[in-house]
Amino acid sequence: MYALVDAVSFYASAEKVFDPSIRNKPVVVLTNNDGCICAVCPIARKLGIPKFESYFKIKWLLQKHGVVVRSSNYELYADLSERMMNVISRYCDDQHIYSIDESFLLFKNYGDLIKDWHQYGHEIRRAIWKETKLPVGVGFGTTSTLAKAANHAAKKLPGYNGVAVIDSNKSAHAILQQMSVSDVWGIGRKISKRLNSQGIKNAFQLSTLSPKAVRKEFSVATERTVNELNGIKCISWDEVREPKQQIFSTRSFGQKVVDKYVLQTALVKHGSIVSKKVRQQSSLVKKLLIFASTSSYDTNYYKQSIIYQFPVATDNSCDISSAISSVLNEIFVKGVLFHLCGVGAIELESRHFQQSDLFMTDNSNPALMKCFDKINNRYGQGTLKMGSEGQSEVWQMRREFLSPQFTSNWKDIPKIKC
Amino acid sequence: MKVIPIFAEAGITGFESPAAEYKELGLSLDQLLIKHPNATFIGQASGQSMEGIGIFDGDLLIVDRSLMLKNGDIIVANFNGCFVCKIIDKVQARLLSASKDHSPVNISPEDDFQVEGIVTRSIRLHHKSPELTACML
Repeated sequence: MYALVDAVSFYASAEKVFDPSIRNKPVVVLTNNDGCICAVCPIARKLGIPKFESYFKIKWLLQKHGVVVRSSNYELYADLSERMMNVISRYCDDQHIYSIDESFLLFKNYGDLIKDWHQYGHEIRRAIWKETKLPVGVGFGTTSTLAKAANHAAKKLPGYNGVAVIDSNKSAHAILQQMSVSDVWGIGRKISKRLNSQGIKNAFQLSTLSPKAVRKEFSVATERTVNELNGIKCISWDEVREPKQQIFSTRSFGQKVVDKYVLQTALVKHGSIVSKKVRQQSSLVKKLLIFASTSSYDTNYYKQSIIYQFPVATDNSCDISSAISSVLNEIFVKGVLFHLCGVGAIELESRHFQQSDLFMTDNSNPALMKCFDKINNRYGQGTLKMGSEGQSEVWQMRREFLSPQFTSNWKDIPKIKC
Repeated sequence: MKVIPIFAEAGITGFESPAAEYKELGLSLDQLLIKHPNATFIGQASGQSMEGIGIFDGDLLIVDRSLMLKNGDIIVANFNGCFVCKIIDKVQARLLSASKDHSPVNISPEDDFQVEGIVTRSIRLHHKSPELTACML
C-alpha cells in the first residue's frame, strides 16, 4: 500500500501556526517579489479568492474581504516542513519526500498490521495537526498514482473529509470517475487536451484505455500512468528521485537594476545557488546558461543570454562565478533597466561516471566545496560566499508582508502573555 | 633552486592526554530540555500573572504540543487570537493565574480557545542575551 500526505494550502496554513490572531481569518500568501498569489487558505477560497492571480489586480477584492496578505516566509516554511515530514515518518517504513509539503509513504512490512486504512489515515492527520498545527490530506492507494488520486479526493471531493482509500476496483471507480484527466499525476496539460478531444474526460475513462495503444500514441510515461491507475505498480522510488536534468535559479529584482556590479552580484548569487544544488545531486555542470532581461511589459524589451561551456565539467562555485563574471560584459548594457536575471545549468554530467580528460586537469577541488557546504549548513546559508556576490543585496526580493521567523530567529520567537 | 624538504625530528611531542579515549560529545541542552523536537516550540513569557509558579516576564518557555493534557498543567493556549500561558482547570473550564492580582478566567463557548501545548520547562536568563534583547522590550 502507498500513501500520499500533503498539507492543505501549506504556505497559508504555515502562516497561521504561530499567529493565532489570523487562524480564523482568510489568508493568502504571495510569491517572490509579492507578484502573485501562490497560496489561498480554505477560508479565503470560500470567499472566491483565486490562486495564481496577480496581487496587484485583485488587491481591491482582498481589501474588500479583509484578507490577510503575507509574503513568502521560506525560513518558516522550511522549518515547519521538516517537522511535518518527521512526524509523518513515524507512520510508515519507507518515506519519500516529494516536495516541501508532499510526502509519499510506502507500507511494506507493517502494512499487514494495519486493519483499517481509513482510521489510520485519520490517526496520521490528528498527529500532524496536534504536533505541528498543520492540516493535511491523506490518500491511500495500491500504486503511487492511485495514492495521489486518493489524496486529491481526500481534499477536493465532498464526503471524504481529508482521508480517502483506494484499495479495490470499487473504490478506485468511485474516485477516478469524479476526477478530470488533467488532475491525474503525470498527465500534463498538452496530453490532457489531446485526451479531452478524443472524449476522454475523466480519470476512469483514461484507466480503461489499452496501455499499448496509449504507448503508441503518447509515450511510455503515459502508458505507465494508465497501468498505475489499474493498480499495476510501475513507478519506483528511484525513478521519482532521479537527478534533475537541468537546474535553474532565476528571480525578478525587487527594484530595477541599472548597475553592472549589482547585476553581477545577483548573477553570481544565482550561480552559487545552482552550484550548491548541482553538488547535492552529485552532478557536474558542462554548460551554463546566463541571462538577464528587462520586464516583458517594457516598451524597449531587452534580453541577452549566453551559453558558457566549461572545458572540464565542474561543480565548483568559484569556477561558476568566474564564468559568470567573464560573460558579464556581453550581457550588461548601459541604460537598460534590468528586471530579471538568472543562471541555469543546462547540461549536467554525473560526478560518478566522469570521464577524465587527458590534457585538461580537473580543478574542481571537491574537498574545498565539501567544506564550504558544511560550514554553510552549520552556520547558515551565506556564512561563506563568493566575493563577487557582494555584501549588501540591494537586488533582494521584495517581501513587504513578511511574517516573523518564529522558529529560526531568536528575536522573532512568539510572545506568550502571562 | 629545487629543495627537497626533510622534516627534522626533534622529539618534542608532549604526552597524549590520558583522557583522550574517554572523550564524548559535549552536553546538549536541547537533549536535556526537549523530548519531542518536532512538536516543540520556544516562546517568551510577557507579563506577571504566572510569577507564583516561577515564570517571570522575559523567561523562555518550552512548549510541547505532543503531550496529553492533564488537569492542572501549565499550558500555552490560543485564547481569542492571542497566545497565553495559564494553569488549566479542566473541571470548571477555567484558566488560572499564579498571582494574587489576577483572577481566574472562565472559558465560555463564545471564546476562541485551543490548547497549543504544555509548558514543560521555563528558562530564566539572569544575564541578558544579546540575541534576545531585541524582544525583551
